[in-house]
Amino acid sequence: MQARPDPHDLLVILRHGPHGSSWLKEGLDAALVAAAFGQRVALLFMGEGVTALVRDQQVGPLGQKGTAPTLEMLAMYDIETLLVDAPSLAQFGLSPEALMLEVTCVSSEALPALLAGQRQVLTF
Amino acid sequence: MLLHVLNRSPATSRVYQQALAAMSPDDCLLLVEDGVQGALPQQVRYFAELEGRLFALKEDLAARGMLGHCAGEVQVVDVDGFVLLTEEAERTVSWF
Repeated sequence: MQARPDPHDLLVILRHGPHGSSWLKEGLDAALVAAAFGQRVALLFMGEGVTALVRDQQVGPLGQKGTAPTLEMLAMYDIETLLVDAPSLAQFGLSPEALMLEVTCVSSEALPALLAGQRQVLTF
Repeated sequence: MLLHVLNRSPATSRVYQQALAAMSPDDCLLLVEDGVQGALPQQVRYFAELEGRLFALKEDLAARGMLGHCAGEVQVVDVDGFVLLTEEAERTVSWF
């Protein structure tokens, strides 16, 4: 049986945490813009990026908005495929249940095939 | 085949681990900018699993005075070689 083709046009890999830099925000912006133009977008949280999904995030010490509100809007943009690199999650002692959104874990064995099967990949 | 492009030194950044974790068995890795430090014999061990699929950009090696210091298993390519690699690859993925 042939593997089903991946239904997504774009995979955005997010590898930075919230607040420390603008990489995460820019990656999310790229995903939202692509989705607004009708692209089917999947997100992969990897490395430090998994901390973007921690619950109860707040504004920064100077009132900076952070990225949690953007993550809560993803469903409105039909971005519903949220993937998390399982080893990265373990590295931060997080479990999928402890995250603010429902995610699908990707094992280290499955990761290369995930990338190989994408039409487009952007890393942030 | 995907071409993965890494611009961070394995001596200072663990991003190379993300690149390796995402690579399929026939993918290639090109070291550019500070990434070319990984081509030094003392650093190349991080990429041991890539035998035959590890490249480093000549111009960035030359700029850093490292052109003659590469480990033997690293294939040095110039910018034209970089273009050829991107042509052979289905897509490129950047790691930074």
